[in-house]
Amino acid sequence: MTEHRKPTHTAQAAGQPGNVRPFRALLFFWLISSFVLSHAAPALAYLEFGVQVGDRRVALKWGRVPVRYFINDQGVAGVGPNDLQAAANRAFSTWQAVPTSSIAYQFVGFTSALPREEDGQSTLGFASRPDLDRVLASTNILLDQTTGEIIEADIFFNSAFPWSVAPSGEPDKYDLESIALHEVGHLSGLGHSALGETEMRADGGRLVIAAEAAMFPIAFPPGNVSGRTLRADDIAGISDLYPEAGFSDAGSISGRVTRDGRGVFGAHVVAFDPADGSLVGQFSLDTEGRFSILGLRPGPHIVRLEPLDDADVVSFFAADQPVDLDFRVTFFDRLVVVPRGGDSGSIELKVVGK
Amino acid sequence: MMRTICRLVVSCTLFLLPARVQGTVLVPASMAELARDAGAIVRGRVVAAEARFTPDRGAIETLVTVDAERTLKGSLGTTVQFLVPGGTLGRYRSIFVGAPELVVGQRVVVFLGWHGPSYPYLLGFSQGVFRVQADGQRGWLVTPPPIPVPATGTSTVVRGDPDRRPMPLADFEQRVRDLVTGTR
Repeated sequence: MTEHRKPTHTAQAAGQPGNVRPFRALLFFWLISSFVLSHAAPALAYLEFGVQVGDRRVALKWGRVPVRYFINDQGVAGVGPNDLQAAANRAFSTWQAVPTSSIAYQFVGFTSALPREEDGQSTLGFASRPDLDRVLASTNILLDQTTGEIIEADIFFNSAFPWSVAPSGEPDKYDLESIALHEVGHLSGLGHSALGETEMRADGGRLVIAAEAAMFPIAFPPGNVSGRTLRADDIAGISDLYPEAGFSDAGSISGRVTRDGRGVFGAHVVAFDPADGSLVGQFSLDTEGRFSILGLRPGPHIVRLEPLDDADVVSFFAADQPVDLDFRVTFFDRLVVVPRGGDSGSIELKVVGK
Repeated sequence: MMRTICRLVVSCTLFLLPARVQGTVLVPASMAELARDAGAIVRGRVVAAEARFTPDRGAIETLVTVDAERTLKGSLGTTVQFLVPGGTLGRYRSIFVGAPELVVGQRVVVFLGWHGPSYPYLLGFSQGVFRVQADGQRGWLVTPPPIPVPATGTSTVVRGDPDRRPMPLADFEQRVRDLVTGTR
């Protein structure tokens, strides 16, 4: 269900003469590796949805902008329809403000239609879904398979949970704007990012402790409002789907993930930019293990890959896709230099089994 | 050179700060919670996945049928059916983001819940399904395996941990039974 576009430019491979002075690269790499290895940092990757149209696969995206949306006229305790509209508007505005993306949205008005109804209009609203017991919110996209066109995309917020629109959040309540930001990413055509670090508690509970993408699928603790901002991975994803002129300055890293010479499907490949600490990633998305990370700032990057062995794989990939989870975390042994507006040139990342 | 190193150290420090979460959608559920809350836990093979309209014809959902090979909790019989939101009907495809897409022939362990006289649903959404795959050397494996629970305190879940490998199905089922009976 994923789609992935290939870079259109190539450039000199990292580590070749003229790219990085050897001693500086070595020091650079040693410093970063020491930090990264000692903290088992999370990886991430933005995913685009793909849909099969005839014999080709196309990215799922809106053909026309602004994307028009309605707000359901029913609220929940402490959050009225106007509160929902205001929080949603802030979330839409955050995505729309990405300078390298052309995505735009338009609030049309309030409606009595429910967000789960497939009626040709995109609606956001609260709904009671006892069958979605641990789902705070979700996006439902209806598309025409013959054209790949999105017909509508609804967002429901589960009324079984307590919600807040307070500027600084409220204890024991989930921040509506943060959740809306994530869902609007889906509505726009983005899948989940795997960036995020969790911990297990002795009582069996699992808690998210860090994330580097709004599109990470697991909930943050109630009261937290830090999810109201986009990260580099989100920005790369939305810019890749709806590129604005400035996005052409960004570069990419591409290559293959292999194990014993064979391609590895579903590996997270993460590019870390030491200049600003940002992370952008992708998955290897075919049986040849090919990947391409777009939307990178020009300059040297550290490349790391890891298996998605702590997640609900079915939340990222179709059930029948041969995702390989049984390999060790691996770093590419050189810095990879991303050229402005071009690609690093193909690199090969070799993994070994656990 | 010094400027580069300073920048590097600052970046690394920022990189390691635990920016408290911002992702959404799912409230995480451990296997212990799933085992406790499930009305039924079944291992089996998917034999059908048929999209249909919801009874009010407002949306598309998929009715999944599993031939139960083993029941670990509850008693739903040898043919178990449950609903997953989304699906494809004719030219229209409804994508419920994050919903598992189960395919005929796939082997799974599912944790099911239900409310009232309706079909069961996957407990915890995508968290309520574990994939079972054949391995030529090790037999049937559950992959990815459940995250181990620490005896005390907390433990960070590390991706690529060499100690966390696909789990033999028999071990997984024993763990589920222990959780259901409350012996761990």
